[in-house]
Amino acid sequence: MGTIGNYSLQLALLFACIGVGVGIYAGVTRREDWTRVAERSVGVVFGFTSLAMVALFYALATNDFTNEYVAAHSARSMELYYRLSALWGGQAGSLLLWVWMLTAYASGALFVNRHQHRALAPWVSAVLLGNAVFFLSLLTFSTNPFATVETVHVVSDGNGMNPLLQHPVMMIHPLMLYTGFVGFAIPFAYAFAALITGRLDTTWFRVTRRWSLFAWAFLGVGLMLGGRWAYEVLGWGGYWAWDPVENAALMPWLVATAYLHSVMIQEKRDMLKIWNLVLIGLTYSLCLFGTFLTRSGIVQSVHAFTNAGWFTPVFLTYTLIMAAGFFIALAYRSRSLRSANRLESVVSREASFVVNNWLFMALLVMVFWFTMYPVFTELTIGEQRSWGPVWYNLFASFIGLGLLFLTGFGPLIAWRRATGSSLRRQFLVPGSVGIATAVVLGLWIQREPMAIAYWAMSAFVTAAIFQEYGRAISARMRRGESAFQATISLLQRNQRRYGGYIVHLGMVLCLVGIAGAAFNKESLANVRPGDSAALDEYRFEYLTADPIPEQHYGGARARVALYRDDEPLAVLAPEKRMYWLEQQPNSIPAIYSTLREDIYIILTAIEPDGSATLKVYRNPLVNWLWAGLVLFSLGCVAVLWPTPQRNQAA
Amino acid sequence: MSKGFQIAIGALLCAGLLGWYGLSNLDSDATYRYFDTLEEFIASGPEKRVGEAMRIKGYVADGSIDRRVDDREVRFRIQNDPTHAGGPPGPTFVVHYLSLETPDLFQDGAEVVVEGHVASQSSGEVFLADNVLAKCPSKFQAMAEETTPASGTEL
Repeated sequence: MGTIGNYSLQLALLFACIGVGVGIYAGVTRREDWTRVAERSVGVVFGFTSLAMVALFYALATNDFTNEYVAAHSARSMELYYRLSALWGGQAGSLLLWVWMLTAYASGALFVNRHQHRALAPWVSAVLLGNAVFFLSLLTFSTNPFATVETVHVVSDGNGMNPLLQHPVMMIHPLMLYTGFVGFAIPFAYAFAALITGRLDTTWFRVTRRWSLFAWAFLGVGLMLGGRWAYEVLGWGGYWAWDPVENAALMPWLVATAYLHSVMIQEKRDMLKIWNLVLIGLTYSLCLFGTFLTRSGIVQSVHAFTNAGWFTPVFLTYTLIMAAGFFIALAYRSRSLRSANRLESVVSREASFVVNNWLFMALLVMVFWFTMYPVFTELTIGEQRSWGPVWYNLFASFIGLGLLFLTGFGPLIAWRRATGSSLRRQFLVPGSVGIATAVVLGLWIQREPMAIAYWAMSAFVTAAIFQEYGRAISARMRRGESAFQATISLLQRNQRRYGGYIVHLGMVLCLVGIAGAAFNKESLANVRPGDSAALDEYRFEYLTADPIPEQHYGGARARVALYRDDEPLAVLAPEKRMYWLEQQPNSIPAIYSTLREDIYIILTAIEPDGSATLKVYRNPLVNWLWAGLVLFSLGCVAVLWPTPQRNQAA
Repeated sequence: MSKGFQIAIGALLCAGLLGWYGLSNLDSDATYRYFDTLEEFIASGPEKRVGEAMRIKGYVADGSIDRRVDDREVRFRIQNDPTHAGGPPGPTFVVHYLSLETPDLFQDGAEVVVEGHVASQSSGEVFLADNVLAKCPSKFQAMAEETTPASGTEL
């Protein structure tokens, strides 16, 4: 099977190279027959990469330890589903997954558009296959997942996967992130094709709209799931540490969010055309850069991936070439991208989208600068310096507040120029709700002004969304529909607007939950069996600790009884596991979740004298973050749901 | 000038204000030197660096972890090279971590970065750590030692 995998990769690379050449030829000569050949070669490459994936899955499933990659990342003791997910547990396998997804997306996009936009097709094929050539070259020549071990050295059992990754969320987290990262190659390729062919109307982003939304939704959910995993498994009480690897996935998502919003202005008013091309070029470049950053190890990270010396210059060069090609084409076309329309007023919907773009860019620059700071200082002053999470949080909280404000302001403000009466009509109720919330919370809580600002702003945005829905629904009800029918027809007829409001509502819930972190409390206590520790009105009684029944991990499981105001709530069981094969300890927290807060307990250690050291956290409102994730996902489903074309508003 | 230009100027102004606010709250501790390796630290003379806030990277010496529950601290020694690198362990340095809250991965042989400062005590210099960070073990290194199979099972 390994040889099948090897040959599949080589054939995929061969056909990808051919496809790039054919695509360019077809594009230059504008021949439909050669365009078809280019498109078909995309399909062929997809076929071969799929074969390679099957071969690697087979090797993992059958514990084929003659395969170096399988031996390095899998083990007999792991369940089948984890052994299969080990495919993306290491560098070579995840690069294979990347290129497989790329060719899958490419085949899909070209198939769906096989009867239209024929002028763009050859260039789209060339760009996508060009990217595939790079990844397939890496796989064939440098980091081959089918490399075999000499018979003398074949082990009887593999190294196993990092036990932290053996968790349901970690199984799908990389898949979701890649579905996001790789998905942005599609709008990028169409934008690039538009620049090359000079077809600079709205076609390139309208065609790829659903693809962009799909990728963005998966990247967003993937990011939040990563946070959930960190919360449940890493046991430090939080969900986001501004770790370089986290930031690597966040940066493209920030720019992509700006892009998804900004294209609406080009559609409605033929403005921000250069902005939109810049945003998609930047998004995809950041996807490549993020892939690079995660694997290169050039920035110290909690996530220690291997650091091969050739990787950094090779990958960085490729990313820069791809980005440079795009932006050079953009510069070449910039004259024809000037808009006839001008911004008429700062108090307008167009202007708020421009401000939106700038705020996201500010966030991006901040995250990029802080993340890469150790690399910059090493290159300039010879020693690495870093900025801690405190700094990220400071700037992010200010910029985020502005973005949250725009979430409410943007949909309500008039086009072109808002008048006094339109402002009054739109903002009276939501504005009052926001201000009232600020006053009430301010008087009640009397500290943490940033958190109060977020909650007040959230109230403003929520009121704005309900006002929009309310007015539209009552208008339809006056024509005889029920409230429920009206809601459904709104979601069908103006899917992007009303589905988008649900996505916004999800983000609002998330921010409400995140703001709760300003009131987090923690405590470290050492207790003998039978004794209790306390945190505010909560009491933690340490009952016993038992050894974990042996599986492929052992360790201790403590039993802690939780009381609030002396009312028994639950018996929680935090664990301190030891994964035998990897010799790696891992604390699994026990979490008592309510809508109001989480009580989160870590068994830090069973001390030599039999006492237990417990770390206890109180995290107010954290479950609103996960609830927001659910609503966000539902909103994305609503926006992406396939609807008959004739019902669409636009 | 155009509205777009005005917005850009406004954005730049806000960015400047925010940056100024942030930097004015900057204290010298905020940007840390990433870390000294233990070798570098010892070479620089620990007695000369008493009181200086710093980070040191090393590996937990096998068997050196002493959890002192009543004092609420953990004492251990760090060495420059990992235990399985072969050869003599080399000089070690004593660390007093002023908390019982050690990270998950903290165990014999773990790669750690200790944050704190050097203190002078009657027994010599000691590193008082406010924070201990432990790293995921590098699987590549471990695997390099393990390619010769323990049992001779053929496949």
